[in-house]
Amino acid sequence: MRPPLVVSCREDNTQRVHALDERAEALRLRRGMGLADARAICPGIEVVEADPAADARLLSAIADWCDRYTPLVAVDGTDGLFLDIAGCAHLFGGEEEMLADVVARLAAQGFDVRAGIASTPGAAWAAARHGLPPVPHGAEAAALAPLPLAALRLEAATVRGLEGVGLRSVGPVMAAARAPLARRFGRALILRIDQAVGAVEEAISPRWPVAPLSVERRFAEPLSRLEDVQRLVPLLAASLARDLERRGEGARRLHLALFRADGAVSRLSVGTARPVREPKLVAGLFSERLKAAGGEIDVGFGYDLVRLAALSVARLDPSQADLAGDAADRADDVAFFADRVRARLGEQALQRAVMVESHLPERAVLSLPHGPEEPARPAASGPGPAERPIRLLTPPEPIEVFATEVPEGPPLHFRWRRASHRIARAEGPERIAPEWWRDPVEAQARDYFRVEDGDGRRYWVFREGPYGAGAPMPRWFVQGIFA
Amino acid sequence: MAQDATARGVLSSLRRDIARVEGRPAETLVVRRHGVAVRDAVPLGAARLDAALGGGLPAAGLVELHAAETRDAGAAAGFALALAALSRGEAAGPLLWVATGEALAEAGAPYAPGLAGRFGMAPQALLTSAVRRLEDALWVAEEAAALGALRAVILELREPAPRLDLTATRRLHRRAAGGGLPLYLLRQAGWPVPTAAPVRLVVAPAPAAERAMAAGTLEGSIGPPAFAVTVSKSRLAIPATATLEWNGHDRAFREREPARAAHPGAVAALSGDRAHPARQAGAVVAFRGVA
Repeated sequence: MRPPLVVSCREDNTQRVHALDERAEALRLRRGMGLADARAICPGIEVVEADPAADARLLSAIADWCDRYTPLVAVDGTDGLFLDIAGCAHLFGGEEEMLADVVARLAAQGFDVRAGIASTPGAAWAAARHGLPPVPHGAEAAALAPLPLAALRLEAATVRGLEGVGLRSVGPVMAAARAPLARRFGRALILRIDQAVGAVEEAISPRWPVAPLSVERRFAEPLSRLEDVQRLVPLLAASLARDLERRGEGARRLHLALFRADGAVSRLSVGTARPVREPKLVAGLFSERLKAAGGEIDVGFGYDLVRLAALSVARLDPSQADLAGDAADRADDVAFFADRVRARLGEQALQRAVMVESHLPERAVLSLPHGPEEPARPAASGPGPAERPIRLLTPPEPIEVFATEVPEGPPLHFRWRRASHRIARAEGPERIAPEWWRDPVEAQARDYFRVEDGDGRRYWVFREGPYGAGAPMPRWFVQGIFA
Repeated sequence: MAQDATARGVLSSLRRDIARVEGRPAETLVVRRHGVAVRDAVPLGAARLDAALGGGLPAAGLVELHAAETRDAGAAAGFALALAALSRGEAAGPLLWVATGEALAEAGAPYAPGLAGRFGMAPQALLTSAVRRLEDALWVAEEAAALGALRAVILELREPAPRLDLTATRRLHRRAAGGGLPLYLLRQAGWPVPTAAPVRLVVAPAPAAERAMAAGTLEGSIGPPAFAVTVSKSRLAIPATATLEWNGHDRAFREREPARAAHPGAVAALSGDRAHPARQAGAVVAFRGVA
């Protein structure tokens, strides 16, 4: 038999009991007592160090799993979850049945949980922690009255102060005159009382944004193969398409949540360049996504709930195809191709160039993920008279220049990547000054030259800074290659 | 008469068979995609090259372009972009440039202002896909090759690329031929290896002509780009080499007369009418050791 287990944490320079199991509880050990005292009571206890980060991860994993009951799940502190089940309870046969289901399923996963239901977050918090039966709407004050002050989610100092004046349970505090209480213990106390009874609205902050539309399917026997999931996606997409069509919308970002029977949740999401609702396309995107994530997804015991949600939607009007049926599809083809590539290889896998107002070559172009077409911006001053290379090296690569014909002139030959290049012809310089509003003060102007070597290779090289007496030798770089 | 008709029938059925084997549309059919007739061959405008290629480069399918060294990648890319501009009109969609990240880091990433200036390509007409692995690049290229909505696909890889074998190139070729668009396979820094591409050109840079001014040319200036192109593999197996100059305004190549070459020795003279010379053994490729 294993010894009683105690989790310790360091608090105020002493090791204290952070948590303990039932056998340790039976030995009359308590939370918060010194570890030395605990060892004195029972020398045989097993002690492990607390790991708050791992606790937070576990809580967040449980919160993920609770998404199966409602999309509105919020983490409460380090040891609690709020589930907003308004409008969801009937799907599970009523509030009490839902509560029993949550507790039973978590118990099956090995968690000892306390749960409560009430109409306000404050009352539900107290009901869960003090073992109250579901609190009906309007009866919060009566239900909380016999509980100790900690049920009001108060700070320890406030609780001690209230106990010091003889208020030891919630009922007398609620009955006491509010103005003196507020003056002596702060407005937080009044707020907590009002929140508990519902006089003040309290919002929980859900972990994920709520999807405008979602469809899901539950299985008594878990799906144990990824191929089955792939076959399921078009079915889910078809029912999602019906809802989208009714609203005249298409999905811009789709999210597939796979709930494993043992509590782990895998989430996959894909974005689209333009709104879609065609089930075949949606299934195609997720098929790529599943292929790409194939190695990371562990099917394990199988999935007992699969949910497909449209996280963001946009207007999608039916358009009429021409008789040949292909003129309108061409732009769509490219957009869907881009979506597939991004679903499989990541958002950065397909990029388009956008011209930006800047004279510095590396800043003149912005690479953005291929997305929806933006309204055409006024062209940024156009290509201009100066020639630009067709390939740009980022960052510019340093070259060794041994001699120039005239101090400010082009190099006669240079060494780049261990090979020597003899310059036959050169054009330039083209001076590009640093952008004083962005660059540091030390930034120097660059003199660019187009040079061609004896074999006809054309490079774009620049010298950073001028030659000058006493100044360090300027550095040379190659930044581009011409056709 | 009846004899003639039978012979013609046999001939055309043989032609169809050959076309099927080669994976290209039969010559008698005018293939239309998106309402535009797909031409069979795109003439380059250089008589000897076009003759060696049997009328020009195929308008759809795989075309292999080789650059012997990494620093020649600018010329190879420029030649591919010129071909893309030549083969399909302005109405065609964007051009997709697929490359492994390594290839772009070594030879530079496509730069939109330069493409606009030299090839008249608007920034939104270029999609770049830089992926980490060769397999991913092949997948993207294969998916894209079936899309008739693209103007062309450029697939740029760095040698050695063992995954790009006969099977892989054949898949690419069939996809592109079916999609009706050219797929230019740019291979950096390596010797040609067997592939299923019907055409392979070795592209090297050539000294540019001088800028043309109102009164003659401007001495010492660097004019429109020039490419030394060698047909290394084609259906007719006629070796040919030529120096082409790209005129961005007319969107056309101009063949430079060999006699006019101001820099003798810049273009390797290949034997004109004899077999392709044997490859030099033990040649050193620059920058092999550079990671």
